[in-house]
Amino acid sequence: MRRASGSEVLGRVVETLKRLGAESVTVTQEGVVLSTVTKDRLRDFVRALIREYGESLRHSTCMGTDLRPVRGSFSVTHVLALDGLRLYLLVETEAFGNRPKVPSLTPLLPAANWAEREARDLLGIEFEGHPEPVKLILPDPWPEGVFPLRKDYPYNKKLYETPAQVRGVRGEPRFFSAKPSPPSESVREGCALIPVGPYHPALHEPEYYELYVEGERIVEARYRGFFVHRGMEKLAESRMTINQVPFLAERICGICGYTHACAYCQAVEAAARIEVPERALYIRSILLEIERLHSHILWFGVAFHMLGFDTGFMAMWRIREEVMRVAEALTGNRKTYGMNLVGGVRRDIDEGKASLVLRMLESVEGEFRRFCDSVLSMREVVERVKEVGVLTREDARRLGAVGPHARASGLGIDVRVDHPYAAYRFVDVNVAVRDSCDVLARILVRYDEVIESVRLIRELLKNMPKGELMAEYGDLPPLRVGLGATEAPRGEDIHLVITGRGNKLYRWRPRAPSYVNLATVPTMLEGERLANAPIIIASIDPCFSCTDHVVVVDLRTGVRRRMNLLRNALTRG
Amino acid sequence: MVEGLGKRVVTEAYPWAPLEVPEGFRGKPVIDPEKCVGCGSCVNACPPNALTLSDDGRHRVVKLFLGRCIFCGRCEEVCPFNAIELTKEFELATSSTEDLVQEVRLVMAKCTVCGRPYATLREVRKVAESLPENLRGLAYVCPDCRGRISSYFVGFARR
Ligand code: SF4
Ligand code: SF4
Repeated sequence: MRRASGSEVLGRVVETLKRLGAESVTVTQEGVVLSTVTKDRLRDFVRALIREYGESLRHSTCMGTDLRPVRGSFSVTHVLALDGLRLYLLVETEAFGNRPKVPSLTPLLPAANWAEREARDLLGIEFEGHPEPVKLILPDPWPEGVFPLRKDYPYNKKLYETPAQVRGVRGEPRFFSAKPSPPSESVREGCALIPVGPYHPALHEPEYYELYVEGERIVEARYRGFFVHRGMEKLAESRMTINQVPFLAERICGICGYTHACAYCQAVEAAARIEVPERALYIRSILLEIERLHSHILWFGVAFHMLGFDTGFMAMWRIREEVMRVAEALTGNRKTYGMNLVGGVRRDIDEGKASLVLRMLESVEGEFRRFCDSVLSMREVVERVKEVGVLTREDARRLGAVGPHARASGLGIDVRVDHPYAAYRFVDVNVAVRDSCDVLARILVRYDEVIESVRLIRELLKNMPKGELMAEYGDLPPLRVGLGATEAPRGEDIHLVITGRGNKLYRWRPRAPSYVNLATVPTMLEGERLANAPIIIASIDPCFSCTDHVVVVDLRTGVRRRMNLLRNALTRG
Repeated sequence: MVEGLGKRVVTEAYPWAPLEVPEGFRGKPVIDPEKCVGCGSCVNACPPNALTLSDDGRHRVVKLFLGRCIFCGRCEEVCPFNAIELTKEFELATSSTEDLVQEVRLVMAKCTVCGRPYATLREVRKVAESLPENLRGLAYVCPDCRGRISSYFVGFARR
């Protein structure tokens, strides 16, 4: 899928940005253009961009930064993806004062909603005209005017010292209020409220859905997450050096951690103009595909489990086990962790290891195909997921969906092709796209991607050149912006960095793909039957989260009953 | 589909049978107390602060706390003396935190000019060994005094 010459396109885009009123336009790295715009002009500028590029402009994320120590201002940097043109546009605006204000882009690009609220919570930047200016990340009882990501907030400062302070005034737990945000002003007339979540001992990704049901139908769904915000950005910015952060970055996710380590390293390498040796790029890509393989196969297991088909669940996890063992042989542990440093990789894949990988691919591909082909030919399975959890192409674009989730709604976006990184510059990736927009499509997209990963790993292993594993480099130049993007198993993973002094980061903003995909779940749930909720929630590939226990509140009597949503779903489904 | 089922078992007999881990497995790091010179390179590299350094004037203590260790192997990678290595050991569960700590205590060297402890004796000896004989004495002088001495000589030479 090669397209028009890169430099030509770039030249045209730079011209356009200048014409539309950018104060300055710089190409900061290959495929990334940074424009600065005054805040009064921001809306008009973005409106003009939308007019110019239309559908192909996608709001990816935004990063707020406290630049007061260096420039005396705050900045907000929006990341807009022009996937077709293989470009990321960074649009930076400055804001001054202690309660800085910038215009919100959410009215123009609804996908900006969460990212703007995050900057509001953590940095105290107000987004004027935001349709939903309420807390997203910080817990409800967090005091007003305390902004943890500002530079004058010490990373080890404790807000509450004693257990009594934590417990709060009325002895209620301070850090979880069952109220969703925005508060449910009115429970809808004649509806029952079914909260799903937020905690379960087996989960590592608590999330909370509030489902309003009328009989079997879900009439409204609300989502609240961020119960386990871990303050990683703050930790990295204040305490760690650039080569310590990869090990923190990969702990963002327990399944696809390596993709974060890669995106992070790519961002720093771009900022510091470090040329990574080709062999290292190949090794990164091979490991990324191995990660996709085990992540997707794991998901198949979870999806089968959700459908009440536990034989499939076990079979998938058995097949996945082989991938994990190879990962252990390659990296020294079952998770593909600990492989990256800025500038390259730490371990080689020699002949012996390569043949291990090839043998694993052989058996995994065969078994996966055989098993899934027979499952997908069963009418009971197909009918169960067909036309369930529909996310139209329109909605997917509007809400900024990424990854297999977007591809199942007919959007052919894939960072490996649109913004090639690592060794994807040297091999062609076939992008799996389906347009039935339902859970079935999501299954089929991931099926194709498993097969494609197997093919890619073989090709990468065959073409891998000899050479160094690590680039040599000196001290980091300060205050440079870098962007790293990878196609994680769940979609586009973006890391933005601003380098600091003393081999540290001034700012680090990772954005995982589920961040945008989760925002699409309420849309998919509305109008569905309750029994379909578990598989719909699971179809974007979060974790088991919260699908186990729900509390049913009978509105008339106020009686609470606990029940198992999953089991419920299965007996009805 | 039935054909694939029950044929292959991936469940391990562990813990009733030993579990083999591959070459290059990243397990428990162990410091060789005979080789470590207390230079602190590993401490600087360790991402989660599992390795720490403390001086009490007479001794320097390199402390490894496995409770924080993420088994990344950065310490092994940066140690100039191959004094810390990751092993294949992974059975670390214990009911006592002490089992998770390894400490290496090293005697400090005092500066022969100002008397201040400035590095471990072992590290100083290593440095001394690497210097030509007529300069060895300089290894036993702390960096501050060394700076003063050399600027004195430089100043002398200019005059
Ligand atoms: S283990 Fe190695 S790096 Fe760490 S203090 Fe000892 S000699 Fe230095
Ligand atoms: S393995 Fe990693 S975390 Fe553990 S002590 Fe060594 S550097 Fe620190």
